Amino acid sequence: MPLSTRRRGAAPTIGSNKGSSGVRALVVCAVLSVALFTLSCQTGETGPLGAVRGAFQTVTTPVRYLGATITAPLQGLGNVFANLTADQETLSELRDENERLRTENAQLTESAQSATRLQELLDLQDTYSLQSSAARIISGSTDSWSSTVTLDKGTSSGLTAGMPVMSAAGVIGQIVSCGPTSSTVRLLSDESSSISCMVQSSRAQGMLTGSASGEVRLTLVSSSQEVAVGDVVVTSGLGGVFPKGLPVGEVTSVESNPGDVYLDIVVELYAHPETSEEVLVITSLTEGQQATAEDIAEADAQERSESQSGADGTEGTDGEQDGEGTDASQTTDEGQE
Amino acid sequence: MQVADRNREARTTVVLAVACLVLQLALAPNLALGNGRANFALVFAACVALTKGGQRAVISGFVAGLVFDLSTTGPVGLMAFCLTVASYLMGLGARDRMTGDLASSATTFAVAALGVSLVYHLAMLLVGQADSLIDVIVFRTAPTALLTFVAFLPFAYYFSRVRPSGGSGLGGRSGRLSGKGL
Repeated sequence: MPLSTRRRGAAPTIGSNKGSSGVRALVVCAVLSVALFTLSCQTGETGPLGAVRGAFQTVTTPVRYLGATITAPLQGLGNVFANLTADQETLSELRDENERLRTENAQLTESAQSATRLQELLDLQDTYSLQSSAARIISGSTDSWSSTVTLDKGTSSGLTAGMPVMSAAGVIGQIVSCGPTSSTVRLLSDESSSISCMVQSSRAQGMLTGSASGEVRLTLVSSSQEVAVGDVVVTSGLGGVFPKGLPVGEVTSVESNPGDVYLDIVVELYAHPETSEEVLVITSLTEGQQATAEDIAEADAQERSESQSGADGTEGTDGEQDGEGTDASQTTDEGQE
Repeated sequence: MQVADRNREARTTVVLAVACLVLQLALAPNLALGNGRANFALVFAACVALTKGGQRAVISGFVAGLVFDLSTTGPVGLMAFCLTVASYLMGLGARDRMTGDLASSATTFAVAALGVSLVYHLAMLLVGQADSLIDVIVFRTAPTALLTFVAFLPFAYYFSRVRPSGGSGLGGRSGRLSGKGL
């Protein structure tokens, strides 16, 4: 015998919704959602919603720890399937050593070229003596929209938004938001990521940008520059956010179509956040780690060269030049503007 | 005589909410298909909407969406709006739609997952987070909808097959008093 007087569906019960179809709740919740969305878009991470989000992420940090711990063996299992032909222990050791040597090689090459070109302007130890704080990656992105990782340190450890983050292999990204005990790092492969970089051998300046597909490209490099597959890409230091000369990746593809002003360069990043656990957050830069006046002048010279070649060779692309060309002194890493 | 155990219903809802929250925070970030990640907030909202419907479904959808928004880097309120509307629409039909009808509830959820994912990512496109519609649809919407649908299947199976037959499951007690309803 049904006790509820209202028939709804096959099994009316006492605990039904008292006949409410939810229209009133729909209107209230929808209006509230739109209001929150508007406020969020207007205030960003600095407003009250940013504080609420920080508090929420602080409270949920243990759960993220739990997820990272539980899924760690599964990630190892994936590596096993991917490398069935090699002994896992040997492969892991070789991979670690390879990453270390590649990083050291890039750093030493960069240091040697800096010393030669700038005639003892920079001290090697000052160049790579990073003032940094160690942190641990505890989670990846929780949505499909952004490529981010979460660190286990936040403002209570002295971290702030805008700080660069690197692993043993190279730069991985930049902090975009900070809670008291956790921070969100936007990876270089993120579609919104864009940092100033250069090709180590030719000193060609460009902007390293991510994409939705995860492919990373070095853009705004003039087609007159010499760039080859295998060239090392390092941070240029322009913008004052990233130290100069940090290894970023390696050129895997260079295409130059007739009439194009810029080269189409694909870069494979050295650092893979999914296999990294410990990272360094660079908390401040010394004077030697920032781009020098010569670097800026060199970037300006490249920019002028690009503009000139564009005007001489491709009349039809003048508009594009105007739109895309950027003064090197204005080219900044994210968070600095 | 069929007597609804309201405590049991509330307990089941809370356990479901906690399970989805933990899965969203702990599992979703580490389980990706391309750029897509499962949306357990939508799974929770759909379970409530398809079993309860009405006002409770709308509020559950709103809260679940808000929690999702807070756990991401996107604008707050967007997923809350999407799940509010989706929960209302899914809850318009008869109550206990999941009971014994796995195919129907799965179909309904598939449409909802695709719709919510598409609207969410198009809105992100409109606020300037992407340049290409192709990227939005191919790299974001499709993988997200697919993963979310896969994540929903165990829940749908539980609510359609296990729970109506008296499984203790999420509620922690036997369902003999109320074989149906959340």
